[in-house]
Amino acid sequence: MTTPLRRRQVLGLGLAGLGTAVVGPLLWDRLQRSAARAQPAGAARLASRGGVADLELVAQATRGSLPGGPAELLTYNGRSPGPLLEVNAGDRVRLRLRNELRQPTNLHFHGLHIPPTGTADNVFLSVPPGGSFDYEFTLAKDHPAGLFYVHPHQHGLSADQVFGGLSSALVVRGDLDRIPEVAAAKETVLVLKDFASASGQEAAMGVGRMLGREGPLLTVNGAINPGLAIPSGGLLRLRLLNASNARMYRLALEGHSLVLIATDGGAIATPEPLDELLLAPGERADVLVQGNQTPGSYRLLNLPYQRSGHMGMAAAEDAPRTLATLSYAGTVPPLPLPKALIPVPALPKPERTRRFVMAHAMGTGMGGMKHDMGAMGGGGMAMGGMGMGFQINGQAFEPDRIDTRVALGSTEDWLIVNDDVMDHPFHLHVNPFQVISRAGRPESQRRWKDTVLVKAGEEVRIRVTFRDFPGRTVYHCHNLDHEDLGLMGVLQIE
Amino acid sequence: MPVTSYRSASCGCCKGWVQHMRANGFAVRDVVVADVAVIKRRLGVPARLASCHTAEVAGFALEGHVPAADVKRLLQKRPPLAGLALPGMPLGSPGMESAYGKEAFTVMAFTRTGAISSFSQHAK
Ligand SMILES: [Cu+2]
Repeated sequence: MTTPLRRRQVLGLGLAGLGTAVVGPLLWDRLQRSAARAQPAGAARLASRGGVADLELVAQATRGSLPGGPAELLTYNGRSPGPLLEVNAGDRVRLRLRNELRQPTNLHFHGLHIPPTGTADNVFLSVPPGGSFDYEFTLAKDHPAGLFYVHPHQHGLSADQVFGGLSSALVVRGDLDRIPEVAAAKETVLVLKDFASASGQEAAMGVGRMLGREGPLLTVNGAINPGLAIPSGGLLRLRLLNASNARMYRLALEGHSLVLIATDGGAIATPEPLDELLLAPGERADVLVQGNQTPGSYRLLNLPYQRSGHMGMAAAEDAPRTLATLSYAGTVPPLPLPKALIPVPALPKPERTRRFVMAHAMGTGMGGMKHDMGAMGGGGMAMGGMGMGFQINGQAFEPDRIDTRVALGSTEDWLIVNDDVMDHPFHLHVNPFQVISRAGRPESQRRWKDTVLVKAGEEVRIRVTFRDFPGRTVYHCHNLDHEDLGLMGVLQIE
Repeated sequence: MPVTSYRSASCGCCKGWVQHMRANGFAVRDVVVADVAVIKRRLGVPARLASCHTAEVAGFALEGHVPAADVKRLLQKRPPLAGLALPGMPLGSPGMESAYGKEAFTVMAFTRTGAISSFSQHAK
């Protein structure tokens, strides 16, 4: 027996608190679960209580339909995106992952400053089909407040699993939430995610694994063009997560500035009004929207973005697309923007600089042969290597090889060089960094980041202090197809 | 049959295609250019069919990792086309051989007016 779910139950994250918000036409109007597990989707939000978060995520394949035909979606607790997880700085977090997929999976706590080992942010462990694992860690009392991201990190399958629908937003409450103007704002988490069409035709048009798969269906919290409400005079805090596999979001809200208050790792020092905001896969941003325009409807747009240099590849869209629609509803006494947020201290002088060069190339298993691969007659694999893939400093990912050793407590500059014809968003686990310069130009404001877009042909200098936690972790491209195709390195903090 | 191939210096896969064409009997001139997009525009390659490198043979445009067998069929039949394109960089296409896997792909044909149709299908 299958149980058709009601529309509202399918929404991964409810737009609760938005009053008269109109939910747009749903992606899955008649989501059906397999007979073996006919049960309603779990709660839309799972939160900690009394300093302890007891959470469970069940990864499963869920039969549903996309416009154009039936499809199998990957869900946590029957939802895509999965439930919104909400915890406080200082909490003990216990999270049981149950794997009901037909393939191994695991979890990465993207952006959290917790150990990379044991039962914490350990991406080297793997939960087999039918198995479960109890993640357990404590967030520091001074862990920055922010929007973080829980998703699979099973090497070789990360892209399939995230593109298929596995992701949950994780809110850590703390410092930023206590700033009065921020606390007064109405808050909503927006998980931005594209899905393949039922036909999968787009892959045949070139947006395959090498460029990173994009889907034509743009959803926000699992819905197509949902409504958002703002009272006249009020403030809306949009908490944005790019949970897509490869798609870039170049966001603009008609008639309104997006006032940036937080990046990946938490608050910035001073609010910064932006006309548009570029969000690469894995990146997050908090923005405030002021309800100071003529009441009406305004579209949150995704503007065209070219992510393959000047070459024209992956130019799937040439017109803006609507992600959500903001409508005015009601009136409140005007709320001011915050004047200052939380200082972002400068990091210590770096002890050394390392260089990481990202590119696609024919691998030989003996380092890169980027410009000599013609000698292999187009058959690089005949040489015993991996053939075409992505590399950092001429080497594709090997889980058992340590690529970079750093000292616990030290500070380093990393020069991330994109020597490729397409963009690569670079992500470092466990420790947040600050971007020092892009293409030789210094950054205007210090921000905590864990993922930074390095455009085709560009160089970005980041600075990071390896604090608190020794152990083995990774850095990689957050275009997850690129990660699965080798663009990842192993970092040992000791 | 002489082929002229245009690629950017930083692309890690275009030379593999050049080698594939040479191995199949084509005399290929391998030209490194600063901006491949200029060539794509000159040859009328539709933006949505773009790949990394672009080549020219007997007045036809060849966009991306088009298999030599398809090029030979094109030259035998000489249909009223502007050229062939394999959009993106599918894994497993000529010059894109990979232990990470193969993708199915479709070689597209395009005309001078920008009409696009399927030319050949290649299974995984
Ligand atoms: Cu990448």
